[in-house]
Amino acid sequence: MNSPSTNTFSTDAFSADAFSAGPNGHRTRGRRGLSVLSLGAATLLALTACTSERSGTGAAAPGSGSPTKTVTIGTTDQVVSLDPAGSWDAGSGAIETEVYATLLSTRDGTTDVTPDLAASIELTSPKQYTVTLKPGLTFANGDPLTSADVKFSFDRQLRIADPNGPSPLLYDLASTAAPTPDTVVFTLKAANDSLFPQVLTTQAGIIVDHKVFPADKVLDDTSIVAAKPWDGQYAVTSYAKNSLATFTANSAYKGQLGTPKTSNIQLKYYTDASNLKLDVQQGAVDVVYRTLSIPDLESLTGKNGITVHTGSGNGIRFIVFDLKTQPYGSKTPQADPAKALAVREAVADSVDREQLAQQVYKNTYQPLYSSVPQGIAGATESLKPLYGDKQGGPSTAAAARVLSAAGVKTPVTLNLEYNTDHYGSSSTDEYALIKNQLESTGLFKVNLQSTLWSQYGTERVADQFPLYQLGWYADYLDADDYLSSFFAASSWVSNGYQDPAVDKLIAQEETEADPAKRVAEIEEIQDKVALTLPIIPLLQGSTAIVTRGGIGGVPATLTSAYVFRWADLTKS
Amino acid sequence: MTTTVELDPPPTAAPAAATGGGGGHGLLRYLVVRFLLIIPTVLVLVSVVFLLMRVAGNPITSAFGDRLTQAQLHAKLVQAGYERPLLSQYLDYLRGIATGNFGRTATDDTPVSQVLLTYGAATLELACYALFVAVLIGVPLGMVAARYRDRAPDVVLRLGAILSYATPVFFVGLLLKLVFAVWLGWLPDNGRAGIDVQLYLENQSSTTGVYLVDALRSGNGAAVEDVLRHAVLPGITLGLLVAGVLLRLVRTNLIGTLSTDYVEAARSRGVGGFRLISRHAARPALIPVITVMGLQIAGLLGGAVLTETTFEWKGLGYELAHYLTVRDYAAVQGIVALFAVIVAVTNFLVDVLAALIDPRVRY
Repeated sequence: MNSPSTNTFSTDAFSADAFSAGPNGHRTRGRRGLSVLSLGAATLLALTACTSERSGTGAAAPGSGSPTKTVTIGTTDQVVSLDPAGSWDAGSGAIETEVYATLLSTRDGTTDVTPDLAASIELTSPKQYTVTLKPGLTFANGDPLTSADVKFSFDRQLRIADPNGPSPLLYDLASTAAPTPDTVVFTLKAANDSLFPQVLTTQAGIIVDHKVFPADKVLDDTSIVAAKPWDGQYAVTSYAKNSLATFTANSAYKGQLGTPKTSNIQLKYYTDASNLKLDVQQGAVDVVYRTLSIPDLESLTGKNGITVHTGSGNGIRFIVFDLKTQPYGSKTPQADPAKALAVREAVADSVDREQLAQQVYKNTYQPLYSSVPQGIAGATESLKPLYGDKQGGPSTAAAARVLSAAGVKTPVTLNLEYNTDHYGSSSTDEYALIKNQLESTGLFKVNLQSTLWSQYGTERVADQFPLYQLGWYADYLDADDYLSSFFAASSWVSNGYQDPAVDKLIAQEETEADPAKRVAEIEEIQDKVALTLPIIPLLQGSTAIVTRGGIGGVPATLTSAYVFRWADLTKS
Repeated sequence: MTTTVELDPPPTAAPAAATGGGGGHGLLRYLVVRFLLIIPTVLVLVSVVFLLMRVAGNPITSAFGDRLTQAQLHAKLVQAGYERPLLSQYLDYLRGIATGNFGRTATDDTPVSQVLLTYGAATLELACYALFVAVLIGVPLGMVAARYRDRAPDVVLRLGAILSYATPVFFVGLLLKLVFAVWLGWLPDNGRAGIDVQLYLENQSSTTGVYLVDALRSGNGAAVEDVLRHAVLPGITLGLLVAGVLLRLVRTNLIGTLSTDYVEAARSRGVGGFRLISRHAARPALIPVITVMGLQIAGLLGGAVLTETTFEWKGLGYELAHYLTVRDYAAVQGIVALFAVIVAVTNFLVDVLAALIDPRVRY
């Protein structure tokens, strides 16, 4: 520590002479004049010595210019993992669906499933789907993509079963076989499972390179990017997690989605949505996909050079009744099924969905009258003719009638729980308005409480919340994803609802080969649960994409079946 | 105490050590004691972090909420070692830190040390900018305030100082962004560099992660300019947090020094104004400032969390905010522990610096 250099630096940096003005030619004083700068420079030089090697991708020097048009997409989503076995979230999924491929996929604003890496898929026996692969498939790194990779990918998902991963979607898969290099046979647990092809389009159905990914554990992002196991439309060219990632069209991809219209994509990550809004306004970002706040979207609408594309989304919001602990619930001292149903019906009569959509969500959300959102095949509006003014609006008179007829003493006390950190910042406004709507009838006294998400899930399944908020995003765009998840005996909601007739109908529609019959069964389930109201659907979420002028490829109005794919984007 | 010593104190420890007197041994003893004090300091800090993180439950349960079945949760807990007694976890944690192993993040299973290395450089860079801004603003304005003690400039500067450290850092950041990025359009509103420059710097054959250093090493003027333009607003935002403290400290110390005998003697010889301050009073007045600056490092790191989030500056503060949001307390624990180590080590370095400048400190 007593080295001359250290001492000289220390003295100079903080000496009184460092602040003297006036000319001087003295060597020491000259250094002192730059003492503050030298401190910073010394730090930077020390850092320079601590360099780390990185694999270069030959990025052009800034200002050198590039003739290739690049579309920059901004997002507030965050990536958990690039390994399809280790992630099942929107941020990871956004990249995975672009750089990996599946055997089947959906296309062009429809929910129809069509072959992607597969050449064909066939139900070869009641419990077996046989898939034939397209010839000559390869990964971006040159490895051939064969049935061995397909078998490996599905076996791996089930073996790892990571809590962050999508393996639960493969609930019906018993085994996967690869009898020939281009043939895969999936053996299922249930016969005639018409939903399995849908599952093949999800993150659980991504095909990975068996030479790159370990069979029994999730691979880290750095190793994945280095190995280039891409079989989707794009390949990753550089990757700084949750900061900036760049992509280029993958020439190895031979699936149905074709060659991207724009070869180069940059994906920039934001934490603060207002920064993202500023960047799209100032032109640093061309496209925003997930997620700007509703006030931000509202303020951008109509701005010169910016287009806000909106439409129905497939996310829904609803109130769940815990049938055990709700007023007059089965485990309460005053248990009375008729009165419990009357309370649920009266709540359904009293909520004003239009007001919620307009006042809280500025019409970016739409009223929802069934658990299956509009736009999904088989969706009905079963609640509409049954409750309120029978046209979708609320009715205090109807609520009063049903409570009076059941002999329920009013006001009914409702302990309503919501979440502040999982369903967006507007939840507080949403539930304040619901409390207001219910209490303004004079029929209810609402105790509104909120719980953080980390405790919310545990407490709700432990019957701690008599009524509570939940939301749902589809894994795949099929009505079953909105029915079996809520109303089957083993439902995710787990609120004590069980109806053997509904269970039977769900099992039927899941294995129904006739599409028309299946739609009828789906509608019947919605009508049945609308009568017993284990949940009250409130709102259907919206999809919003913001683009700057010159960006094409996003439909003016989005439907719930719309899938955002970078390959559709163009830049003029 | 003699006038000679006061007017011209030994500039470095080297001459004192070279005399062969007790100064060298004093310095060595002082440094050893100070260095050894780092160990209990760090131990206490990381222990407090460890215990506070456990108050919120174990990191696995916090991160995964209700997404795991009891069996899956148990398997995760066993894998991460959180099912073991607290003491055993604590000892393992200390062993890990001693070997640079801060554990793995609960949500994405990344080594925390990798997170620290990846994002630490960005935070260090921001802290350097902030210190630079703080010194650049705080020291000269402190001298001006002392020079015009209790007069209008002093009152205005003191008010400004109070405002600068009393105003929430995110508010200052948003205000600066609104004025200079949105209204005037002079500076970028977020990020450490433009996308092209970021890609260019990160794809160099070897990088430090400190963009300014990497840009300088590349010899690309456009990249240097871009990096500096992006640094202005976050650097000022975080720098102002410390500049106010620095201003008041410099002012107070200078006022004290200006009333000492040797400064009075200089004044009686006709030295006055800023010359009196800069030539005779500044140095002794600035020595305590160095010590306080060390303590301000903790404030800088705390301020970095909000500044980095406000400006999308992808550093440790930004990551800390992210991991707090997803309740990944394993990652939070690692980052906060590193902050604790940085604060302890910085204070040691500041003590060393103060001892080298002012031999009286060693005794």
